[in-house]
Amino acid sequence: MRALAALAGKEARTLFVSPIAYAVIAVFLLLSGYTFVVTLAVGKQATLVHIFFQAAVQLVLLVPLITMRQFAEERRTGTLELLLTAPVGEAAIVLAKFAACMAVLLVMIGLTFAYAVVLAALGDPDWGPVYTGYLGLAMLGAALVAVGLAVSALTGNQIVAAVVSLGLFGLLWGIDPLAALLPHPADDWLIGLSLLARFTPFAVGAFYTSDFGFFLTVTLLGLFLAMRALARR
Amino acid sequence: MAVVSFEGLHKSYGRRIAVSDVSFDVADREVVGLLGPNGSGKTTILRIVTGYLRASAGTVRVAGRDVHDGAAARRHIGYVPEDSPLYAHMRVGEYLAFAGRLRGLAGRDLDRRVAAASERLALGPVRETIIGRLSRGYRQRVSLAQAVLHEPRLLVLDEPTNGLDPRQIIEFRGLVRDLARDCAVLLTSHILGEIERIADRVVILLNGRLLGTHPIARAGRALQLRLRGPADAAPRIAAVLAATDGVTRLGEDGTGWRVAAADSAAAERLGVGLAAAGLAVVEVAETPSDLEEVFLRLTGGEAAR
Repeated sequence: MRALAALAGKEARTLFVSPIAYAVIAVFLLLSGYTFVVTLAVGKQATLVHIFFQAAVQLVLLVPLITMRQFAEERRTGTLELLLTAPVGEAAIVLAKFAACMAVLLVMIGLTFAYAVVLAALGDPDWGPVYTGYLGLAMLGAALVAVGLAVSALTGNQIVAAVVSLGLFGLLWGIDPLAALLPHPADDWLIGLSLLARFTPFAVGAFYTSDFGFFLTVTLLGLFLAMRALARR
Repeated sequence: MAVVSFEGLHKSYGRRIAVSDVSFDVADREVVGLLGPNGSGKTTILRIVTGYLRASAGTVRVAGRDVHDGAAARRHIGYVPEDSPLYAHMRVGEYLAFAGRLRGLAGRDLDRRVAAASERLALGPVRETIIGRLSRGYRQRVSLAQAVLHEPRLLVLDEPTNGLDPRQIIEFRGLVRDLARDCAVLLTSHILGEIERIADRVVILLNGRLLGTHPIARAGRALQLRLRGPADAAPRIAAVLAATDGVTRLGEDGTGWRVAAADSAAAERLGVGLAAAGLAVVEVAETPSDLEEVFLRLTGGEAAR
């Protein structure tokens, strides 16, 4: 546990020392802020649904930038060998990186709560969709981070890790239109894999345990694959 | 008692055999060098003993524990991989504290050991320096410090003198000999002269196979001396040579006398005798190593197969 805390602290410092975390958070907030102002000014509705959908798309695009270097960079510089020969397990190494990446994501998402505060000051927002929206973003982010870490653990090249993660996330995000070409029940299975289809209920205020379970399962699967990728040597 | 024991170690990557049937032990406080050309399996052996790679067959035990039984064996190992990888953005003290916590150290015990390792490796002046700004020599010291923080039974060094300048290499030799007072050391090199100066025993590898082991006779190594003096001093030199124990006169040439001293103590006695007689040793050279001859014989025989 002590080693896990040391690793998580090191990973968090590494992310927050580098300009990557700040650049990602700044771009995320800039685009989110723009959308919030425009939708509020035009629609005059106390809702964050637009923000949640846009934030989800931004997570698909930005998470690979955070996860790409996690293992790939350590493998390239040789420090991964130091970690893997220390008396800690692969699980601790993966969980520490997951925790650090999630810290960046949660800071990034959490800062947008300022929009909810603005809405509360100006009107009377429905808080149910606000809470489920943030839960959905956190669950989506966790799944993306876990899969991104697994991809990073499989390669020694950051760019390859980023491109493969981006391709995978993009495919899973909008895979549901392909379902129209498939017979039943294969179409349902495919829709079940769609990140957009799974995220939409969260964004509009509905909470289904199946969607929660889906993101949880993808997260655990991604972490497991990352551990296996490290153990395979 | 052996700190490390290799028994029938075998490692293959698909069809390519990296290490084949390697067996040897490393005793406590012994410095053992793995010597062989690039691709002979040295690094693979180190990576197996440190738990980075899994052996295809055979067993490796460190302090009596199988290296594949989780973290138990790794607690007894300090490791400096090739090129001393470090986190360039961290400060030296911060990095050493992280390395200690990774090995379960905490609180005052952690502070004490970080301070002790820093002092032993003379890192005091750079404790607050960012690692990325350190010279190669200091980076090597930081790597050694993180490897000995937890007072391991075995220190593993992969090509530790790579990239060091001559002065840093000389300092490094002294550091390793100092660290070897407390633990066994297993290191690799493809430079024969380097390994001979550091190791007590050399394990010679070629194409993943152990060709033989060879003890380095650190004490008692014969020295060859060359003496030169004025022509009229010949009788005095002859008298000193005859009067000094452990010294054999090999012959004379146009520039002086060639002399063999049985060991460094005999050479010192000769120097004292010559100085007392008003003469000087103008050239002192160690006899060529027998390791070189052993290495060539073993690897030559293997290459001829």
